[in-house]
Amino acid sequence: MATTGHNNLNAKLVLLGDMGAGKSSLVLRFVKGQFLEFQESTIGAAFFSQTLAVDDVTVKFEIWDTAGQERYHSLAPMYYRGAAAAIIVYDITSADSFTRAKKWVQELQKQGNANMVMALAGNKADLEEKRKVTAEEARAYADENGLFFMETSAKTAANVNDIFHEIAKRLPRAQPTQNPAGMVLVDRPAEGARAASCCS
Amino acid sequence: MHEADIHDLSDDADYAAASKQGSSSMTRNGSSKHSASSDQEDAEIVYLKDNVTIHPTQYAAERISGRLKLIKQGSSLFMTWIPYKGQSSNARLSAGDKNLYTIKALPFSEIQSIRRHTPTIGWQYVIIVSSGLAFPPLYFYSGGVREFLATIKQHVLIVRSSEDANLFLVNNFQDPLQRTLSSLELPGSLANRIPSSSGSPSDGNLENKHTSEDGHSSSMQRSNKQKQKGHDPARDISINVLEKFSLVTRFARETSQLFRESLVDGHGPNEKRRTNWASKNHQSQEMTSNDVESVPKNVPVPSDPLEFDKLSLVWGKPRQHPLGLQEWSTFLDYEGRIVDPNALKKRIFYGGVEHNLRKEVWPFLLGYYSYDSTYAEREYAVSVKKSEYEKIKYQWQNISPEQAKRFTKFRERKGLIEKDVVRTDRSLSFYDGDDNPNGMSDLLSPMEFEYEKTLRLWEVLWTHYPSEHLHLYACIAILKRHRAKIMGEQMDFDTLLKFINELSGQIDLDRILRDAEALCVCAGENGAALIPPGTPPSLPIEDSSIYYHQDDEVL
Repeated sequence: MATTGHNNLNAKLVLLGDMGAGKSSLVLRFVKGQFLEFQESTIGAAFFSQTLAVDDVTVKFEIWDTAGQERYHSLAPMYYRGAAAAIIVYDITSADSFTRAKKWVQELQKQGNANMVMALAGNKADLEEKRKVTAEEARAYADENGLFFMETSAKTAANVNDIFHEIAKRLPRAQPTQNPAGMVLVDRPAEGARAASCCS
Repeated sequence: MHEADIHDLSDDADYAAASKQGSSSMTRNGSSKHSASSDQEDAEIVYLKDNVTIHPTQYAAERISGRLKLIKQGSSLFMTWIPYKGQSSNARLSAGDKNLYTIKALPFSEIQSIRRHTPTIGWQYVIIVSSGLAFPPLYFYSGGVREFLATIKQHVLIVRSSEDANLFLVNNFQDPLQRTLSSLELPGSLANRIPSSSGSPSDGNLENKHTSEDGHSSSMQRSNKQKQKGHDPARDISINVLEKFSLVTRFARETSQLFRESLVDGHGPNEKRRTNWASKNHQSQEMTSNDVESVPKNVPVPSDPLEFDKLSLVWGKPRQHPLGLQEWSTFLDYEGRIVDPNALKKRIFYGGVEHNLRKEVWPFLLGYYSYDSTYAEREYAVSVKKSEYEKIKYQWQNISPEQAKRFTKFRERKGLIEKDVVRTDRSLSFYDGDDNPNGMSDLLSPMEFEYEKTLRLWEVLWTHYPSEHLHLYACIAILKRHRAKIMGEQMDFDTLLKFINELSGQIDLDRILRDAEALCVCAGENGAALIPPGTPPSLPIEDSSIYYHQDDEVL
């Protein structure tokens, strides 16, 4: 959830998308300015933070880069829960990854925060000769679903900072601080727990 | 056991009573003429075992003992499990509670699988899956799991899974083509593991056949039919899921409770627990004496064989040095059989395996070799598997691009492997060379622990000693290590997530394993009983399709 200090904004951002679409590469490019041709698969999720100045506001992104493999799907809600923004990433050379991206959008529309800023990133834009998903098709889909769309390349850095910048600009500014979405763990006396289990 | 006689008298009466007390849809079979006992002219009891017990909760006092029977009628085999009446030890349970668990004439045509669990400590138990639902684990207090399976084998088509020596598949009619295809499925797609052909359509046929053959519909068949009438698979699944959720919640709550009592309070490890047990026993005795109808003390629930150990256990045992070549050879007989698999597992649990020996030892832990195979048999098995590998490889290499277009699962898996192969970390010597295992890179990459520690954790978990769910206890051990911080700082959800994520590479494996062992031993049978049936073991079975059948002492 985006929360404001005086001129500071903290925003939880989550990256979702098919494995190998380039989620980690986008983050690594944005946070560290690096690119690895063969980025290791992400296990579970990785956490990064990066600060951006937009107009007169400093936005601190707390970025959850999730694992794309299907077997980690069930973990995803933990990471997009309470997120202010999401980047759904697909690979322009893979039609399957675009299909997968649409599924993520659907899931976020159903389960995610209604005010979430969603971006659709068609990554690997440098691989024009292998393209399977046209920009027109993706843009049309994004427009229909209220996302903003950019084609990016983590390899050449094209549009990488821009997509994060655009998200930062679109984040609602004066959002009241909400209760942190989470559980409160209380050290209860043992007897209470026992009584509860008797009735179940 | 001596109490068997007493129960011979009450058992069938219990059955009838249980039927009457059941839901209204069940009462129709209560017509006295056709009670279960009058069916015995054409129904033959082929197996009978007393003291087969379920553990609905962690509390020993709430365990329900009963009698397990296999009944042969016509060409069909049925299973029943009827709880004993008025058992002193479960005075807290109402008759309704007990009937909830009663298994009334379950036909084997409905059973999909039986999983045998042979924990190193505690009783052997089986989990029966029928129509997608797992029954509670049945603990054989008086032994007899082997005979149980052997008896079933005489009457029903039952095969042992090639992937898991303890999993027995009932009515598995998959044809070879389907098997090959299912082996290409992505891991985790449960639906493909259970062939629909073994589902209800055939049950219907079977049932009709019986009705006509026998000329009348027995109460057993009738109750079965009624059960099927209200049988909506979707509902079953949702019930199953809900049930599992509730079990998980309860497990979490009750185990944390258990550990708090035994570990965290100021009385030292076991003092308080013992006190609780004592007062509980006292309480149940009181209740028994007021309860005129109960049959007092006729079914003594045997005490947990390791109770004494548990009480004397202070903390996890120190870890040992890894198993080396010389010591390894002492586990083998002259033909290469592992003489005492349990001793080997125990040894590996406490120390792991030296790296250069893993190539030889892991195939046993992973079920690739059976422990009682000889050198020669293993050599043969490898050659068979090699040729199978070549066959499968040939199959997938010959899937044309046209076929691949229509074969989504194949495409997905191929894409997955292609991506993984280029992304394996070449800086690790493990990935050098041509025998690089595909599709495992994320698991093999040393992220959570260092490389060597990861391998150690694996082999320790694979031993399934002292529990096949030790990974759960390891998770609890990790949380427990950081309990003060997590609770003290009242972390919100994201902070907690970040904190857990940042534990990567910070975990002292030996310490966690020691703690996990202690937690596991301390929770004992009670802890094991709280783990919901169907919870994947540390060494999970990804694909139960069968290519070859292992020889078995039972089958």
